[in-house]
Amino acid sequence: MSKVTRREFLDKSVKVGGLLLASGIAPAFIRRAFSEDKHAAYLNAKINWRQVEGTRIKVLVTPAHYFNKFRAITPQFEELSGVKIDFDIIPPREMREKAVLDFGAKSGNYASHTADPMYLSLYEANKWVEPLDNFLNDPKLTDKAWFDLEDIIPLWRAADSVNGKLYGMPAEGEATIHVYNRELYEQKGLQPPETLAQFMETAKELNKIDGRIAGAALRGFRGAGQNMYIWPSLFLAWGGKWFDADGNPLVNSEPGVKSLEYYCELLQNYGPAGVENWNWPEIMEAFAGQNVAQFIDSNSTASIIENPKKSKMAGKTGYQRWPKGPSGRRVSSIWNWTMPVNAVLPEKQKTATWLYLQWLASRPTQFSSAVYKENPDAVVRTGVNRVSIWSDPEYRKVIDFTPDYADVVLTAMREDTDSDWRPRVPQWPKIGEAMAVAIQAALVKQKTPKQALDDANADIAKVMKRS
Amino acid sequence: MPAIATPPKVKYQKQWERFGYAMISPSMIFLVLVTTVPLVSLLVMSCFRIDLTYPPGNGWIGLENYLEMFKDARFWYSIRLTVIYTAITVALQVVVGLGLAMAFFRGFRGQGLMRVSVLLPMILAPVVVGLAWRTLILTPEYGILDYIAILLGFGSKPWLVDPTWALISVIIIHTWQWTPFAFLVFLASLNAMPQEPLEAALLDTRTSWQRFRYIILPMLRPAIVIVLIFRTMIALRAFAAIFSATGGGPGTATEILNLYSYRVSFNSLDLGYGAALGTVLLLITVGVSMIFFRMRRASIS
Amino acid sequence: MVKQIHDRNPLKLIGIAVKSILFMLMILTWAFPVLWVILTSFKTRTDIFTVPPKIFFNPTVEHYIEAFIRTSDIAFGTSNSIVIATVTTLLTLLVAVPAGYAFSRVTFKFRSQLSFFALISQMAPPIGMIIPYFFILSRTQMLDSYSGLIAIHMTLTVPFSIWLMITYFQDLPVSLEESAAIDGASPFTTFFRVVLPTVWGGVGVTAIFAFIESWNEFLYAVVLTGSRTKTVPVAIFSFLTTEESLWGPFTATGVTIMAPVILVALFAQRQMIKGMTLGATKG
Repeated sequence: MSKVTRREFLDKSVKVGGLLLASGIAPAFIRRAFSEDKHAAYLNAKINWRQVEGTRIKVLVTPAHYFNKFRAITPQFEELSGVKIDFDIIPPREMREKAVLDFGAKSGNYASHTADPMYLSLYEANKWVEPLDNFLNDPKLTDKAWFDLEDIIPLWRAADSVNGKLYGMPAEGEATIHVYNRELYEQKGLQPPETLAQFMETAKELNKIDGRIAGAALRGFRGAGQNMYIWPSLFLAWGGKWFDADGNPLVNSEPGVKSLEYYCELLQNYGPAGVENWNWPEIMEAFAGQNVAQFIDSNSTASIIENPKKSKMAGKTGYQRWPKGPSGRRVSSIWNWTMPVNAVLPEKQKTATWLYLQWLASRPTQFSSAVYKENPDAVVRTGVNRVSIWSDPEYRKVIDFTPDYADVVLTAMREDTDSDWRPRVPQWPKIGEAMAVAIQAALVKQKTPKQALDDANADIAKVMKRS
Repeated sequence: MPAIATPPKVKYQKQWERFGYAMISPSMIFLVLVTTVPLVSLLVMSCFRIDLTYPPGNGWIGLENYLEMFKDARFWYSIRLTVIYTAITVALQVVVGLGLAMAFFRGFRGQGLMRVSVLLPMILAPVVVGLAWRTLILTPEYGILDYIAILLGFGSKPWLVDPTWALISVIIIHTWQWTPFAFLVFLASLNAMPQEPLEAALLDTRTSWQRFRYIILPMLRPAIVIVLIFRTMIALRAFAAIFSATGGGPGTATEILNLYSYRVSFNSLDLGYGAALGTVLLLITVGVSMIFFRMRRASIS
Repeated sequence: MVKQIHDRNPLKLIGIAVKSILFMLMILTWAFPVLWVILTSFKTRTDIFTVPPKIFFNPTVEHYIEAFIRTSDIAFGTSNSIVIATVTTLLTLLVAVPAGYAFSRVTFKFRSQLSFFALISQMAPPIGMIIPYFFILSRTQMLDSYSGLIAIHMTLTVPFSIWLMITYFQDLPVSLEESAAIDGASPFTTFFRVVLPTVWGGVGVTAIFAFIESWNEFLYAVVLTGSRTKTVPVAIFSFLTTEESLWGPFTATGVTIMAPVILVALFAQRQMIKGMTLGATKG
């Protein structure tokens, strides 16, 4: 017999011992396995989920059905890891203020929060958040093969990165698509528009077709996340660029003026009354109540629209990608809710936070939360973060509002997005603010589009110059 | 202040003085502690650049924020809006409140119902008031006020969407919520007025207008000044109702100074400049209150 | 004289008619919007936004159920609000009532300057104060604590309460203290045994206003509370979610926020009005 090295001996004995254990204690394991079945998928990961058990962290989220679902299934994580999570639920704007205040005061109150990806460069500039590579590349913390980072929608990861490094984990997101009333289209013999010019035409045709209905709706509410969610897509569809090679802003260039004129023309002539103050819940309600013929906004609106209890348009709605602009581009948003790790936390809490984020963004969790129903009326998640799930027939069964819905969204997420859809610079809050004011000023005719954009451009130049 | 009761005996003087200080010290200590420190930090912050979007540029800059304010068109616009907003709403509250009080001070049936009704707006949380007006009352077609306007033939108005109308709307909302205060103050004042001068005036004067102007109005002066002081203070720093109704929009049409300071601090994340704006608002409020306070002292003597 | 009486009669009738219309308009203007909010809270989701707005509809209590039973936040927020508002009120009275007495009835040096300070200490715009308060509270670990928010709420209630009490004390006849002094009473005894009982109604009114101020407060609460101490105005906003604005539960909660205060107002309306208006009559 050849000399057995200590290692080989240990190896063998572990295997034998394991078999013995398995057969001897198997019945006990089997019993426990049924109750821990839900953890089985996670236990495949070659990390110790319980490495910081007993730690407690606080996470700040906004009220939204997907976060409600995450919160509802979080006890599974707590069981798995021994980490306790407290949630604070605050509306988006106040939540962001609180998160920023927390960062600025370095109080380390919130381990993570549901952040706006546009703010990540601000967070990074202030060194408030930890680069996720530190966790991803640590084999004790992450089983890369199991986690499969590449499966997470690439453009969302790009959006959540600053200078190529990932700072926030995408937990839930959306694509911007065109939603229209199929019945009205059929009634008028219209084809879904390919270009924005055609879109304007359909709006004109359908406007007041029954005496009341508005031809089209887009977000009008003044805000960096509201009207500045829609206009950048138009700007880029006209071939616009935010900055030139020297870093000077170009919002008042021809694509800017033309796209703003289009926006104003569309809403002033064919938009519903009061659209200047509308955010997407209002648009969605109006469409569901058949007061608006079509709109362009997040794909997540489908889950309400296709619910017969909440909408008159269930089963009558069509979905397609953003129409093309004159430059030939369709530009969807890259919006996603991203979760960073607070850099000020002590090590144990950072680890706990990372474990939670990993768990949240993992395939099993994303899938189970997608189909989870916290009450019989609950909607399903339409923003899972993994490409594989979008192609998964199980998931498709759940979100097949129309035969092509999933494909439309997936294609939009693959091809129509641009990670620089909005300028991802630390000064974004100021830029977004200035642009939001300008767009609304043009819409309500306080200024002409050219004037509004000239003023905004000057403001932005000043802001960038300071830096 | 009117003559106060002071004990006649001198030997109690010292005791009462000490007593006086003892009585005010808990509140004074509390107020000094809890308001002075943040106030000072506000002033100090206004002398720094604290721009979260560009940390390297932060630090002490003396009065530079104020110099920049001087050149800031949006600041001057918001000052203008603040003056218009405050002046109109306070004037309306006083005029309408006084007019209604004059109409009703001689007693009438249904007083209880009236009192409860006029109390309701003041009890409502301003943030709820703003939202309720925005979505349930002023929404085109669905809102009850807009619907009534359509019924009466005025047509739907762009209440919160047209810059001028938006300013009118927020003034209406604020006036709606706080006129009852003026109304009730004047009502009680009128009811408490001594009757003989009024009776005498009946013989002397010809018109009720003259009676009002020369007899009633002077007697009401203390009440009017009190209302002016409190309502102006509140109007200058109105926030919740406007914010939930229009957010300062459309564009910047309803962005009074308080709101502008908020947007600068919390949206643009320029905390130093936001603090400077807040300081200016504070100075304005104190200045105006001092003027009214002097008026009050004068009117008592 | 006769001429005047003749002039009065037809005018009187018109006067009564005008007054009645004015009366109804007033009730309509001020009570109606509040009633509209209450009505909305009982409408089904599709009934809320209709053209024309519905006055008659099938009422439902589903929103109240949703607000209270399904979402545990609101009940929790309400209990927090009760604690915070009550303690704020009690502490406020504790410091403001004596101060009001001293400022109005006792001479001492710097009295007018200090009373002016009490007036202007509430003039700092809350927006400006949020950031310093947040920094201070987070450093002293008082974020998401009852005591932190109570202290901040007191900065809103104490100045106003001092001035309200000043106006009540001013109304009292001078003889009150004089007769107590003749009896040889010390300042403390005079205050507690003689003066205080007579303004008890005023104290009650001040308490009500302080309570309302704290109960409705939103701006500080949203920034300075967290999951443990969240008050009901903060909780109410969770119904305006990112994907749909649930106006039904929102108005239901709005009504609930109003309800305790309205009930108190109904019973205390006489007191409240006397309280608000006393200051003006004396100057």
